[in-house]
Amino acid sequence: MLTVKNLTVSIEAKPVLQGLDLEVMAGEVHAIMGPNGSGKSSFAHVLAGRGGYEVTGGEVLFEGEDLLTLDVEERARRGLFLALQYPVELPGVSNLVFLRESLNAIRAARGEPILDAVQFMKLARDKATLMQLNPELLKRSVNAGFSGGEKKRNEILQMALLEPKLAILDETDSGLDIDAIRIVADGVNTLRSPQRAIILITHYQRLLDYIEPGRVHVLSGGRIVRSGDKALAVELERKGYGWIAEEVAA
Amino acid sequence: MSALQEPLERYRMLLDAAAPNLPGREIAWLATQRAAATQQLLQSGFPTRKTEAWRYTSLDRVLEPAWEVPRQYGAALDIGEYTLSDDAAARLVFVNGHWVAELSSTHALPEGVYMGSLRTALEVMPDTVATWLENSAAMRLSAFTALNTALLDDGVWLHISAGTKLTTPIELLHVCIAQDATPTAQLRNVIVLDDGAEAMLLEQYTGIGEAPSFTNSLTEIRLGRHARLEHARLQDEGPSARHLSYVCLHQQAHSRYRGLSMSLGGLWSRSEYHNRMCEQHTQFELDGLYIAGGHQLSDVHLAITHAVPHCTSRERFKGIVLGQGRAVFDGRIRVEQDAQKSAAELHNANLLLSRTAEIDTKPQLEIYADDVKCSHGTSIGQLEPAQLFYLRSRGIGLDAARRLLCQGFVMEILEGWHIPALHTRVAQRLDRLLAETPQADSDPH
Ligand SMILES: Nc1ncnc2c1ncn2[C@@H]1O[C@H](COP(=O)(O)OP(=O)(O)OP(=O)(O)O)[C@@H](O)[C@H]1O
Ligand SMILES: [Mg+2]
Repeated sequence: MLTVKNLTVSIEAKPVLQGLDLEVMAGEVHAIMGPNGSGKSSFAHVLAGRGGYEVTGGEVLFEGEDLLTLDVEERARRGLFLALQYPVELPGVSNLVFLRESLNAIRAARGEPILDAVQFMKLARDKATLMQLNPELLKRSVNAGFSGGEKKRNEILQMALLEPKLAILDETDSGLDIDAIRIVADGVNTLRSPQRAIILITHYQRLLDYIEPGRVHVLSGGRIVRSGDKALAVELERKGYGWIAEEVAA
Repeated sequence: MSALQEPLERYRMLLDAAAPNLPGREIAWLATQRAAATQQLLQSGFPTRKTEAWRYTSLDRVLEPAWEVPRQYGAALDIGEYTLSDDAAARLVFVNGHWVAELSSTHALPEGVYMGSLRTALEVMPDTVATWLENSAAMRLSAFTALNTALLDDGVWLHISAGTKLTTPIELLHVCIAQDATPTAQLRNVIVLDDGAEAMLLEQYTGIGEAPSFTNSLTEIRLGRHARLEHARLQDEGPSARHLSYVCLHQQAHSRYRGLSMSLGGLWSRSEYHNRMCEQHTQFELDGLYIAGGHQLSDVHLAITHAVPHCTSRERFKGIVLGQGRAVFDGRIRVEQDAQKSAAELHNANLLLSRTAEIDTKPQLEIYADDVKCSHGTSIGQLEPAQLFYLRSRGIGLDAARRLLCQGFVMEILEGWHIPALHTRVAQRLDRLLAETPQADSDPH
């Protein structure tokens, strides 16, 4: 589904990714861990098409097609979804309007009929209930004045509505209370299917207890320096990142 | 009079041509007032860019065409699409500056409300009209208020008697039909709320046809003690329209005015609000919204004075300028020495969406009292790249993303006015202007 080959990226002439390789197949769940500033969010942003990053080398294929030449909205319409580490506030833009425009844009791209206001309301309410998101938040401006945890739940609500093929969750678990992590994990697990793939960027093993990844990668200095199975996450939790850095240096 | 320069000469001809058809020619005070206004106009002439209040705004588009005062309009007109409220208590319709009885409806108004046209009022109750117009100083505000007075002809006449509280809005609709002629509508609106009266007005200026037209309206509003008026004005005129409006307020103690000034249409448009608060505990609140794209100019002038203690004024304007549009915001709040315990707030925020668009914003707070609460702020910004990315990352196309963010920007103003039709008008206008502004032009960086 996603093939990343020797990707190098700079931001303001400063290298942030330096030869990143990753292969994600349909049906898989991958976790990416790594120290602060190692380039995890930058990687996710480059996949989603956020401006400000300069791809200086390598390639990214999404379902066999060059992802990097596609517009941001086109990537989303083809099934890529990024839950942001820092969801953006949109004052004055109603969450409901945002969700409906988004869902209908993506449904149109998938050749599915547009939902009318009533159908959409029902769907949005159902998903919000599932995410245990206060339905009042649907009527408010997108993320404006939401608590940290509410913003994260709102991201997952979007994911649940849009049903992407590849969902990338950038530290969605950070700032969530213990119950909310469970709810978010349930939401992600509901989405899991042989046709979909998930990349979890996280600092904590707890999330991985609920959403079991097949592969765990450590990103450090802009590269994946180690990959393993779930046991790697357990080891990292215990020993930190220092030992990997030493091994890489050796 | 032979030495008059163009365009003043052309305006003198306009006055001469219109004079025989003006109402109330036999009323002495009115004849005197028209003569004084004519003299003021012809002697002082029109302002130029050297006049401080017109520094940012050229009058060429208003002064060059040869306008004509059209005769009464008689044909049928479908005004359904202009409706702003489904439960309006009454509706007055003016076409090219003249009241059209057949399109208006006032029968559902409760007792204590007198509403109709100024022309009729001059006929049936000239003495009452005199109480409010005879000593009006409004004509001295500018060459255009003098012009309006010299051509005093028709407009809204609304008088709500003491204690009468209207629970549903009154709609005032001004349609300018400019198909082959170049009409000018000189509207004089008189709105009087006696002590304790309450009402909501939805006033709208709209146009049919692409030919140039010139609306020059002067509205005088008098609010008695404890009276409350909510007054939304929508300028949504045709694509070649010139629109100039003066709103002059006279507020008595404890009265409250809450206004909305929306400027969406026209080619050249300017709104002025004048209020000298001379009685204590009066409140003046004005929200505003202007959108200028294409080659539109939208200009706002506020002249608000706190002359006595304990008055409140709050003005909050937002604007979006794109294409080769231009906006001017000149808001002046003056708090005089005696006006202790005043509260004044003046805010203007703008979105500048293209390199070829321009905004001149000049909020001014002049404070001569020492025990006051005053604040002002102004900003000019662009759409946030992070917000655009966020919307697009959810599959929303760039155009729709820009529209959503622009609508979000103006929502702060609109949400205080529960008039869904206004939201729709803004959305339609934004859609149209964003569609005709190519994305390549729209990154001002
Ligand atoms: N706009 C920017 N300008 C300059 N440097 C940036 C910018 N954005 C990111 N960086 C830098 O790029 C590097 C990688 O940042 P990134 O956000 O990808 O790290 P991360 O792995 O997600 O960290 P964290 O775990 O703290 O979220 C950091 O050194 C960061 O300071
Ligand atoms: Mg990060």
